[in-house]
Amino acid sequence: MALVGVGILLTALYLQAESFVAPLISTVALQSLLLAVLLGWLAWTEHSVDLAVVAGVVVAIRGIGIPWVLRHQIRAFRWKMREIHAARRVTGHALAAVALAVIAWFVFEETLGPVFPSPSYALPFVLLVQGLLMLATRSNTLVQVIGYLEEENAIVYAAAIFASGFPLLVEVVVFLDVLGVVLVGVILSIQRDVTGTLEEGQEETLSG
Amino acid sequence: MTPNDPTLWLFLVLFAPAAGSVLSLIPHSEVSEWVARAAALLTVVAAVALLVTGASVQWGSYLGIDQFSEVFLVMVAGIYATSTWYSRRYLRSVLHPYLSTSTYYALLSAFALAMLATLVVSDLGLMWIGLEATTIASALLVVLERKSTSVEAAWRYTIIASAGLTIALFALILLYGATGTLNFFRLDASPPSLSLPIEMAVALALVGYGTKAGLFPMHTWLPDAHSEAPSPVSAMFSGVLLPTALYAFVRVYRVLPTPVPVALTDLVLAFGVATALIAAFLLQRQRSFKRMLAYSSMEVMGLAVVGIAVGGIALYGALILLVAHAFAKSAAFYCAGNVLQETGTTRIDDVRDLRIRAPWTGAAWVLAGFGVTGAPPFGTFLGELLIVTGTLATGNILLVTAIVVAILVAFLGLNSQIGRMVFGSRPGGEREVSQRPLSERGVGFAYLNVGIALALGVVSLPYLTGAIKAAAALLGGSVP
Repeated sequence: MALVGVGILLTALYLQAESFVAPLISTVALQSLLLAVLLGWLAWTEHSVDLAVVAGVVVAIRGIGIPWVLRHQIRAFRWKMREIHAARRVTGHALAAVALAVIAWFVFEETLGPVFPSPSYALPFVLLVQGLLMLATRSNTLVQVIGYLEEENAIVYAAAIFASGFPLLVEVVVFLDVLGVVLVGVILSIQRDVTGTLEEGQEETLSG
Repeated sequence: MTPNDPTLWLFLVLFAPAAGSVLSLIPHSEVSEWVARAAALLTVVAAVALLVTGASVQWGSYLGIDQFSEVFLVMVAGIYATSTWYSRRYLRSVLHPYLSTSTYYALLSAFALAMLATLVVSDLGLMWIGLEATTIASALLVVLERKSTSVEAAWRYTIIASAGLTIALFALILLYGATGTLNFFRLDASPPSLSLPIEMAVALALVGYGTKAGLFPMHTWLPDAHSEAPSPVSAMFSGVLLPTALYAFVRVYRVLPTPVPVALTDLVLAFGVATALIAAFLLQRQRSFKRMLAYSSMEVMGLAVVGIAVGGIALYGALILLVAHAFAKSAAFYCAGNVLQETGTTRIDDVRDLRIRAPWTGAAWVLAGFGVTGAPPFGTFLGELLIVTGTLATGNILLVTAIVVAILVAFLGLNSQIGRMVFGSRPGGEREVSQRPLSERGVGFAYLNVGIALALGVVSLPYLTGAIKAAAALLGGSVP
């Protein structure tokens, strides 16, 4: 399962270095499916129905549902296939992602390493930081949704390996996904109705 | 269940806004408005009844309140009620609303319900879900006025607040891994010994919940959302949503055994002081009066965080500050709403002569300005005084200086700008336009709330003052 963990980490790094939206969607779907494999394996070994349900929810919503909606949004906005700002800074993003992953790893090892000795425990924390980096550095709303999905994956990953039996795990996962669907479906639609754009562009008006 | 049974009121405090939210969906604006108003009033009755009983209530494994929750319940219910009643005046002047009146009231009640649910659960995981639900319910309210800037603000709010809350959930996972429970009654009864995961959980909860509470540097959603939301919603954002996020943080912070490790206290203090100072200085540079009020809320949250970290009498001060600020700031936003709807601008430079054009609104705004910035004898003054006194007792002169500077800078900045809008005049030719009288409907709610903020500093309010003292004592603070 460590191999699956490494696979998840690699998808996280790839997400930072890609500027085309379609491969970003496919990659986050792949990341969710890898996470579901890990959850399924944990559910099998721990005989946990909760984890099995969560694995199913992750496959259905994050692996298939939300990526489908995002692809639909791209078809509605062909010109949004690529995030121009990110394309100009793709090398910087990739380097920052690797540097941040290393820093997050060391921070985790220094603070929680003595309590969680296996190196794989640091992976959810690294994934969380990668999701935050994506939210902070990207301006395309579709890409920000992908960053948010990555954060959600980090949370489920952490709950599954840090806190076996974390109460309300299924409810929390479903709730996060409901929020994801609300984000993707409702706000993007309003944005399209009112502004006709999916890029942030009102900074000057909002700067006070 | 009898009227003396607090469980009845506990359920009613959830049932009333839930019913209000569902029934407001009736596609008749007048009916849904009155349904929402009735639901809000019923919520206030239930919250006050819980305050009067003053008991710590537990129902099953997931529902439970203590005096700390009761103070916040009254605060949320109060602002929910006045915002709902004030909304009638505001909605009538929105020309092309994105939401129907029924949907607006349904979401407003759902927003209140999410905050109230956050306050009545004893499980930190459910508390997190409640806080996340506030984002879902309130994000759509921000886009009411169908402006591209509103949509942008709603998006930023949703994505940044949710990202912050994800970090908070990570904190809860660590906490559960270390303690085996997320029930705060159980954690109070048998406090866990200090461990690295618990310290890390508190630090992450500070960042996570701090994002929702508008702490620097995670505050970037706050000025946009507060300035773009309709004024009754801004009042709920500033007055009660930010304190509700702090409430959730305090519940996690309390898990730490006393004395709290110095490194963590310093971390919390650093976030608090930085927020108060930076917000106070940013407030000076604002051209929009709604953004100015948003930064003022940020400054107050910073001071409250300092009070929480210092503890003792400063903790009591922080609670008074949060309650008095909630009422004063909502009053300020109602005044801002009146001015915005009548003048069509949020630019400070474009608003003058309110003393002539809208004397009642102008006077209420001056009072609310004093109220939010801690002028004596408002409750906010008492709260800030206690925080400064408590901080002085720590002997940390640098910290005292920083918060006094923040308080003074915010006081001068906000009140001078409100003063310009109320008492300032336009030069020459523009004067004629500026003399047009403005409608002052709805300003009574501003007076009501500013009156409560004032009373908190002047007299001992029945039950409320006692409950704030009890809450401070419960959290380990000292009460004069």
